[in-house]
Amino acid sequence: MTEAVVDVRELRKTFRVTEREEGLAATLRSFVKRHRKDVNAVAGITFRIEPGEVVGFLGPNGAGKTTTLKMLSGLLHPSAGEARVLEFVPWRRESAYLKKMTLLMGNRSQLVWDIPAADSFRVLQEIYRVPDEQFRATLAELTDLLELQDLVHKPVRNLSLGERMKVEFAAGLIHSPSVAFLDEPTIGLDVSMQVRIRRFVAEYNRRTGATILLTSHYMDDVVALCKRVIVIHRGRLLYDGPLADLAERMAPYKVIVVTLHNGAAATTDLAGYGNVVAADEGRVTLRVDRHVAPERTARLVNDLGDRLADISVEDPAMEEVIDRVFTSEQTTVSA
Amino acid sequence: MIRTYRALFVAQLQSASQYRVQSVLWMLLEVVRPVIFLAAWVAVANAQGGRVGTYDVRDFAAYYISLTFVLQIVFSWNAYDFEFEVRQGRLSPKLLRPLHPIHYAIVENVVWKLTTFIPLLICLVIVALTFDVRFRTTPAHLLLFVPSVALGAALSFLSGWVVATTAFWTTRVHAVSTLWDRGVFIFAGMIAPLALLPGFLQTLSLALPFGYMLGVPAEILRGGVDIQTALVLMGGQAIWVVIFYVAYQRVWRAGVRQYSAVGA
Amino acid sequence: MTRYVRLLRLFFSTELQYELEYRTNLVLDIVQTIVIMVTSIGAILVLFSYTDVLNGWNLGAMLVLLGCFYLVQGFGELILAPSFEKFMEHVRLGTLDFALLKPVSAQFLVTLRQFRVTNLAQMALGGVVIAVGLGRLPSVGISEGLGFAVALLCGFVLVYALLLALSTLAFWFVRVDNLMALYWAFLDAGRFPVDIYPGWLRVTLSSAVPIGVAVTVPAQVISGRLDFFGLAALVAGTLVAFVLASRFWHIGLRSYTGASA
Repeated sequence: MTEAVVDVRELRKTFRVTEREEGLAATLRSFVKRHRKDVNAVAGITFRIEPGEVVGFLGPNGAGKTTTLKMLSGLLHPSAGEARVLEFVPWRRESAYLKKMTLLMGNRSQLVWDIPAADSFRVLQEIYRVPDEQFRATLAELTDLLELQDLVHKPVRNLSLGERMKVEFAAGLIHSPSVAFLDEPTIGLDVSMQVRIRRFVAEYNRRTGATILLTSHYMDDVVALCKRVIVIHRGRLLYDGPLADLAERMAPYKVIVVTLHNGAAATTDLAGYGNVVAADEGRVTLRVDRHVAPERTARLVNDLGDRLADISVEDPAMEEVIDRVFTSEQTTVSA
Repeated sequence: MIRTYRALFVAQLQSASQYRVQSVLWMLLEVVRPVIFLAAWVAVANAQGGRVGTYDVRDFAAYYISLTFVLQIVFSWNAYDFEFEVRQGRLSPKLLRPLHPIHYAIVENVVWKLTTFIPLLICLVIVALTFDVRFRTTPAHLLLFVPSVALGAALSFLSGWVVATTAFWTTRVHAVSTLWDRGVFIFAGMIAPLALLPGFLQTLSLALPFGYMLGVPAEILRGGVDIQTALVLMGGQAIWVVIFYVAYQRVWRAGVRQYSAVGA
Repeated sequence: MTRYVRLLRLFFSTELQYELEYRTNLVLDIVQTIVIMVTSIGAILVLFSYTDVLNGWNLGAMLVLLGCFYLVQGFGELILAPSFEKFMEHVRLGTLDFALLKPVSAQFLVTLRQFRVTNLAQMALGGVVIAVGLGRLPSVGISEGLGFAVALLCGFVLVYALLLALSTLAFWFVRVDNLMALYWAFLDAGRFPVDIYPGWLRVTLSSAVPIGVAVTVPAQVISGRLDFFGLAALVAGTLVAFVLASRFWHIGLRSYTGASA
């Protein structure tokens, strides 16, 4: 068995926060007595990641994704538990570890704003001690993959948000890390740029075999890039396994959309075929148990005959799946 | 208008309460410079047998403590904030509101002074004890001091505002405000009481507005000038206030026009 | 070590390139520096129109002191103040994380990162003022010159230590932009010889906030007023200050990353 790149055991992080209600009276009271509360940001999670995997971290805001990423990158000390990345203890921030990893944060920039990115790259080369040959080769490849030719010589300040993100990616990868932590990398970008970034990440993983851990709000990021997802909610691990299986487990139904010809809609009641979720202007959306979906579909086609204009059978939307995961009372669901 | 001011006041007080420490730090910065020059003049006086001109060591202490007190009441920092707001584009929303931006600045100014008043008094008491101060103030002086320092504050605020308005035309307000500040440094009574400035510098200091902001109210407070001279000097203050009020009106109108023409 | 020197050169040259693009700003900055220095000299001349000696310092020595002041302040404004201001911004914006994850000393990367090259003018003019002051004093020997260089270096390090300690507070009190005001206030006190200040102030400026020492001692050395022991004490004190301030900063860093004490 190959050595895991990321090995996490019972990792915990608890923050102590002071709480204060609004208003003048509460402010004055808090002068005298501070109200402290412990927040379990990460409440004991365990998982392993093998080399070359692209794993998605899913969870609502405040679930503990970013906190986990910060512990794995070395920015935070955990309250309890263990973690190893590439055999290193991340929060020791040893030089050898830092040279092999990178952290990219979607809404934060590490580049100096006033100078062209190329100058920042040069500084990074020096910091990471990348040999000239390798630097040139990596830079050429990144420029090519991310289409940076016109961007690197302009001050970063003058780039659009999407262009800045591309340049940030390049800056984060200039030292050819073997592990990349991506925190909300496509946040705030327009759709076409998101697609391009996704393609880039996939291609980068394919070419270099770098292990990638990514957190995101956007289901499309995860669907496009990650075969495996880890779902975190309230600091606990809810699911760790293939994305496809997640749907099957958490939302074991299919969505059948029936479109009826004009006039037929008012007189047709499809409640007998399944759960009617929506019905407007001749489009009826039904939720049907997975196992019986084929049989129901066949019955619908048969029974509706020429009243039927269109029919489609779909998997539930990923957002719905995830939503169900978060709102369910279940705890760990193993793959 | 009263209601508006009250609302602005309350809002500013709330936000100021979050910056208590910072306000005090800022105040300390203002206090340091007069104390430095006080120590210097005391050293000079000691080298000259205990006095320089009509000032002995205790007079110097009284002067610089008065100066610091006046500085606190009179100080305004509009130029910096204003330039910042113009550059950040934060001025535009303010221009769209039916309230002249200057009112925000006035309230902010006054609130800061209120919140740092007590810490300042503490500092001044410490200095007073260290240097064994002696004031020559009479009740008449105190009476005159109130309008005098008010005039000084108005003058400082208005002139600061005029300097700040140059931000409408140039991004290099910093250069302009530096020149202005150095003018204050030399001629307002900071490096020396106005009476001790050598010949031509003293004449200049009476012709320029700087002295009327700080030095004049300070001397009145400590009782360093007789009542007639005080009244004459206050006349000078009043004249400069009028000049800068008119200047402020003109420059502001022109500036806003310029700003909107260029595209806020 | 050479890597750090190379990095410093890189930081300097990229900043220089950037500032050279704004020629008007550059010129204006230099003009402002000149104006400020001329007025400061003016202030001293006003004082000296009433006396020949200020606490044992004659005009030549005072000019030397003023020059030292601008050398030290200039150095602070050249690299230390900009870097520390940037550091406090990083803490506020959460971008400090990037610096912590680089395979280079975080303290170096944070405290010596940002140059403001125009302040070289302040340092150069400070040197000119020193030269002018020296012209009015008996001639200077090699040992004084050497002692001066050592004392000046100590002065630079002391200013670094002061700023490092002050900015560490940013780890706990996130909004500390006006901390720089405290720094400038203390620094301002250095424009006069530290011995003119009354008891408690003098002691503070010589120990807890060693600005007075940072400026006064080099001036004393080069005008032949300091003996070897005083200089040795300065060097020792500087080392202690540097170590203490660095420790303090690392404690702040550990707190930031949640490392238990």
